[in-house]
Amino acid sequence: MTSMEKRLQKELQAMTKDPPAGVSVNTNSLSSSLSEWVVDIEGAPGTLYEGERFQLSFKFTSRYPFDSPQVMFLGPNIPVHPHIYSNGHICLSILTEDWSPALSVQSVCLSIVSMLSSCKEKKLPPDNAIYVRTCSKDPKKTRWWYHDNSV
Amino acid sequence: MEPRSDTVQEDFNYDPDRNYDEVIMAQQRIIEKEIAESQPLISNLLTFDEIVEEYSDEDSVYRHKIEDLKGRYKNMRKTRGDGNCFFRAFGFSFLEKLLQDADGYKSFVDVVHKSKDMLISLGFPQFTLEDFYDTFVDIVKQVECPGTVEKLLETFNDQGLSDYFVVYLRLLVSGHLQANEESYIHFIDGERTVRQFCSQEVEPMGRESDHIHIVALTKALQVPICVEYMDREGLACNAFNFNPSDATDEADPKPTVTLLYRPGHYDILYPL
Repeated sequence: MTSMEKRLQKELQAMTKDPPAGVSVNTNSLSSSLSEWVVDIEGAPGTLYEGERFQLSFKFTSRYPFDSPQVMFLGPNIPVHPHIYSNGHICLSILTEDWSPALSVQSVCLSIVSMLSSCKEKKLPPDNAIYVRTCSKDPKKTRWWYHDNSV
Repeated sequence: MEPRSDTVQEDFNYDPDRNYDEVIMAQQRIIEKEIAESQPLISNLLTFDEIVEEYSDEDSVYRHKIEDLKGRYKNMRKTRGDGNCFFRAFGFSFLEKLLQDADGYKSFVDVVHKSKDMLISLGFPQFTLEDFYDTFVDIVKQVECPGTVEKLLETFNDQGLSDYFVVYLRLLVSGHLQANEESYIHFIDGERTVRQFCSQEVEPMGRESDHIHIVALTKALQVPICVEYMDREGLACNAFNFNPSDATDEADPKPTVTLLYRPGHYDILYPL
């Protein structure tokens, strides 16, 4: 087993044994090398997204955990949020430049849930139209400009 | 003064429908790959005569400073400029020192053992932390079984192992800063908490090290570090000692690790 598989195996165990609230790994989605996962998440009670269900896609390279995972929302239901583009791309610094190998699938899911929970108004990012038209398919190929830590 | 039009690249027209990010990032990858292929993570021992041309390209001041270093140091090792050079240089140089210092090795192993629980109590997730801790300990143990410089050099040039070692050192620095938040909060720039600083400037790989990282590592591991600063001021390098103890009335302990700093980069020095 490669060190990437070993690490993901451990993470999968922790996530299925003791999943954080509103987060569950979709075990049917796992590829044999564990390089692709789908995680189901649920909008937290008392937030704008209460009762809504979303899916996150995770893709890992063989350099994981040194390379960050590629993480995006999958259709049909993509949350309307000022940091989430309508094609599922997420503007979140730990997914690119602030990624650290000590982070994990679990910590990424928790950050995304908390990003949804702290949202005060459901609206698309201001540059959604141009971004979705010109961006790469891979959100890691966007040089994100992180300007706002409040949401 | 108006900018002269001939200094602007005239054939560049911004096309809002084009994706520039990908082009820029592809170029960054190429540069990183070139660096990785041309520079080992930790080099063999070099003499100053071997590096004088390269180091003094930029400025003749550096030529004088290398003469100054030759009076105090016999050799050096270069490290790869990948943003992790401080941690990697420290790690290699420190373990190399411990090969000759059985007592130092024992007390370091104690510090390392205690560090895991300390980091978990600060909220680092246990299962990712353990991964890095276990590899870190395996590498530290190479010192006693019985260790050789060649073996350490091989380990530190193995990207996988070497990076695991760097990650754990980064976590130790982050842990120390967070556990002593009140001592460091005033040294952090921008409106950031110590926790935010750590997750942006300490824990991610490739993020360069500053004064505050060195202070924290010195104290977390109780290892005195000396850094020779080679900048354009004056004719000699300025040595700065980082001490584990805060007592100001004691003489500086002899540094265990000595590094050479040129703006943006750390290499390893060997005293005469």
